[in-house]
Amino acid sequence: MQADPTQRDQIRVLRPATPREAVALAKTTGAPYIAGGSGLQPVWERNGSWPRQIVALNPGWPGFRGIEETGQGLRVGALTTLGELAQHPLIHRYLPCLPEFMDQVAGPGVRHLGTVGGNLCAGGDLSALFLALDAQVHRLSDDDPQEQCQPLEDYSAGDGTLMTALSIPDSRQWRIGLEKLGYRERFSPPRATVACVHDGQTMRRAVCGEGGPARLRSSETDQDTELTAGGWQDPALRLAIQRMLAFLQEDIARDH
Amino acid sequence: MTTDRPASISTLAVDWGPEGQPGDTLYQRIDGQLDYPTDLLNLPGLLHGAILRSDQAHARLLAVDTRVARTMPGVHSVVTAEDVPGLNRFGIVVRDQPVFCEDRVRYEGDAIAAVAADTPAQARAAIAAIRVEYQPLPVVEDAASAENQPALHEGSNLLAQESLTRGDVDQALAACAVVVEHEYRTPRQMHGFMETEGGVALPDGNGGVLFRVGCQSGHRDVEQLADILALPRAQVSVEAMTTGGAFGGKDELTIQPAAGILALRTGRPVMIHLDRFESCRSGMKRHPVAVRMTTGCDARGHLLAHRVDAVLDTGAYASLGPAVLENFMDHATAPLYRIDSYAVTGRLVYTNNGLCGAFRGFGGNQATFAVESQLDALACKLGMDPGELRRKNLRSRQEPGSRGQPVRWTAAPATVLDAALASPLWQPGNPAGARWLTGTGLAFGAQGNGLGDGLPDSGGGRLSLTPEGRIRVEFGFADYGQDIAGAITRSVCDALGCGSADVEVVLGQSRGPDSGPTSASRSSVMVHGLLSRMLPEWTQTLKRLAAELTGQPAEDLAPGTGGLFLQGRRLIDYRELAGKAPPDALVAEAGQDFPVAPGQETPVGRYLQLQIATIARVMVDRLTGRVRVTDLHHITAAGRVIYPPGYLGQIEGAAVMGLGMTLTEDMPTRKGRMQRDNLDQYLMPTIGDAPAQRVDVVDDTPENDPYPIRGIGELGIEAVTPAIVSAIEAATGVRVRTLPVSPSALLEAIQAREAQS
Repeated sequence: MQADPTQRDQIRVLRPATPREAVALAKTTGAPYIAGGSGLQPVWERNGSWPRQIVALNPGWPGFRGIEETGQGLRVGALTTLGELAQHPLIHRYLPCLPEFMDQVAGPGVRHLGTVGGNLCAGGDLSALFLALDAQVHRLSDDDPQEQCQPLEDYSAGDGTLMTALSIPDSRQWRIGLEKLGYRERFSPPRATVACVHDGQTMRRAVCGEGGPARLRSSETDQDTELTAGGWQDPALRLAIQRMLAFLQEDIARDH
Repeated sequence: MTTDRPASISTLAVDWGPEGQPGDTLYQRIDGQLDYPTDLLNLPGLLHGAILRSDQAHARLLAVDTRVARTMPGVHSVVTAEDVPGLNRFGIVVRDQPVFCEDRVRYEGDAIAAVAADTPAQARAAIAAIRVEYQPLPVVEDAASAENQPALHEGSNLLAQESLTRGDVDQALAACAVVVEHEYRTPRQMHGFMETEGGVALPDGNGGVLFRVGCQSGHRDVEQLADILALPRAQVSVEAMTTGGAFGGKDELTIQPAAGILALRTGRPVMIHLDRFESCRSGMKRHPVAVRMTTGCDARGHLLAHRVDAVLDTGAYASLGPAVLENFMDHATAPLYRIDSYAVTGRLVYTNNGLCGAFRGFGGNQATFAVESQLDALACKLGMDPGELRRKNLRSRQEPGSRGQPVRWTAAPATVLDAALASPLWQPGNPAGARWLTGTGLAFGAQGNGLGDGLPDSGGGRLSLTPEGRIRVEFGFADYGQDIAGAITRSVCDALGCGSADVEVVLGQSRGPDSGPTSASRSSVMVHGLLSRMLPEWTQTLKRLAAELTGQPAEDLAPGTGGLFLQGRRLIDYRELAGKAPPDALVAEAGQDFPVAPGQETPVGRYLQLQIATIARVMVDRLTGRVRVTDLHHITAAGRVIYPPGYLGQIEGAAVMGLGMTLTEDMPTRKGRMQRDNLDQYLMPTIGDAPAQRVDVVDDTPENDPYPIRGIGELGIEAVTPAIVSAIEAATGVRVRTLPVSPSALLEAIQAREAQS
């Protein structure tokens, strides 16, 4: 029942000098990456099972922290903290719905530590919006000297690759709706967060929370089936998701 | 003296002027500057203790092997049931809980052994090395059928059964034009204090032990600890230090027995501090209640009959369960309303579902949730305004209580109701659009002060002048966040005319005066009573001594800030007076019984009564069923306000606690196992969930009332739950009777209603 209480004290923190070294270390040791630690630590503590080694990521590595304009949109470093994301002037310009939404993501202390990459790898609150935006993940793997790029939807955390940044398309002219259902007003794990993004032509919808992150592709009439198949077992939660989506879509259509 | 004349009504606000400000300790507490007992980490020779707890909800204990643990690095002592020097049992009402289990564990978290080591990590490592062999027993988890299941203790699992009756309820129900019958369920709420259970036991070098702990009744703890440690009471003392919250959850002994035994064994101070996981699993909770109520009235809305059948789950040990049952029963009679016939029965049962005991509200708020909901249901069925139904049936100030006992109000119930019906929250709020459904609801509650029902209830205090010239006021109460020290200081300043810097409040010393437990909303009543007994004569002595020293006539002297004044001029300061007065000349002590109704051989219920009407405004999200409480307006009638910051803090704080119980808080169990283990799963309201609140005071206390000050520590939680569910019904048409409110169930009900219409 009781974990070995000294496990936590004995964790070896590996501090690679470069991102490449981090990927190599993760591969040879099997140790997990750690950034802010706000998501992983409580899990380890609850399970009473601490890893023997962790690979600490360094926000000082070029491109890993901060937000910049790319011409096609924004590049967000994976180690940008949630607090920085919420306050960044570029986010206010490109994604004006996000700063207010960020108030509902964890609490100030966690936003100070937690990172964008960590949140996405854990299927956290940002997943729905970034999926609906068709965000691209930049990643490093040990078998390719180049940084690779793939849709967030296809990205699988835990395969040893290292997320370095995200590319978000230029959404300044788009209409975006974002809603979170938690257990309470603030500092709650997401029961369900939904996002609707309309780029002027098509509407893209995504969800994350208890059933996991997913892009939704079915028509409104088949949505319940799609959610059920996607792992959303609670019928009342599926109902809430569909009502939130319908409301956001109506809202977007009205603005249009 | 007790007419129903209109009372004065005022809205409370903190006065930020020099005299109105909260005491200094409040800011220190908010800043995290106040030392809690678990901050005493620099004690020389301090060892750290840890407790091995059962991981089974119900099992025979076949073997406890501590051999490896005893050899672990840094370990000084490992103790089990065999090492308890005296009585291996504790409990305020029934001593049925073992310090360390002997041959059986009865809940997941039952204590089996404890270790003292140089560091917390070493102590935990040793705990992990203790091998325990269990033989699982069937788990008693269903409270309703518990008494028909194998008994956890001698006899049956039915710990107590009570009934209160008046008239013939069957006959009365048959005569009713309208009857409503519903079942209500309340959650297993956790106190969720900032500082978890903890403290330190220090050997005194002469075979005795001093405890510096977070607790609610040092004197009562001394009695139990002396029996456990097999020491004379004179060799056990308790300092109830300022602690990070208690709310009833530190009323029983927590870590003291294990820490005390380890301190005696090692001869060194031993600190035990539960982490949040351990606190969640092993700590006290609020009794979950399942209650069926059948209530009827005539066609004009006069209440005629009320039947109640309740089961309270007290968990593995009795703790204060019997007293909680009594208070639940009292509140379940619907004490504010005239009902000719009632039959209230309640059963208190043992189960393997953790531990339940004292918790702010003490069973009363669970009952009031159901009673007030029944009134709303009747009003709905009658097509009558719920306020009107209540008005028709309210007791007047002259009437006795629901059990025929004398009661003493500070305002007429009708006055409080009128003020509630005039609340601005009844005005429609901002247009909420298609998404948010808004509604306003009202509930009314009564609450008594003191232990009640003739239980021994008394206490004392002490007043002196220190050599430094400070007026020292000593009581046995513990300060666990309510800022009783602020209220005492204000009372002394108001009575004497001195400044707050002249007053030194000393609390919670078992070597000092025994004021009785810090519970049952009794402290402020006792403080006022005892100060009223001590201060007049003490002040006379002060003036007489000053007169002797200064040659001025005593009757011309008046105490003020810093000293005694003659015609506005400070004549002699307190320090000089203290230096020149004969020893003990300025010491006053007093004791008193808690006020009970005159002329009653065995007091019934509680004499000093308070009222609260809470009006709640909510927004319900039509998309998801989630509920947002936007406003709470409380009309309180609880005597004179002596310390506005304390009064506001208690009412608003208790209301948010009740909001948590209503909307998010529950510690469900499965096969006796707690299903939440930390505050990221057990969800208490945050400041983001806290509504705007307004607290009004209806004060119609007669000038010559001997008990003008009442305790308001629990009042704010009394009516908030039924007010919120009433507001939810006003918004959605759906009445919730199982707490906490399930947004999912609410959403499905909203959808079903939409489909109908």
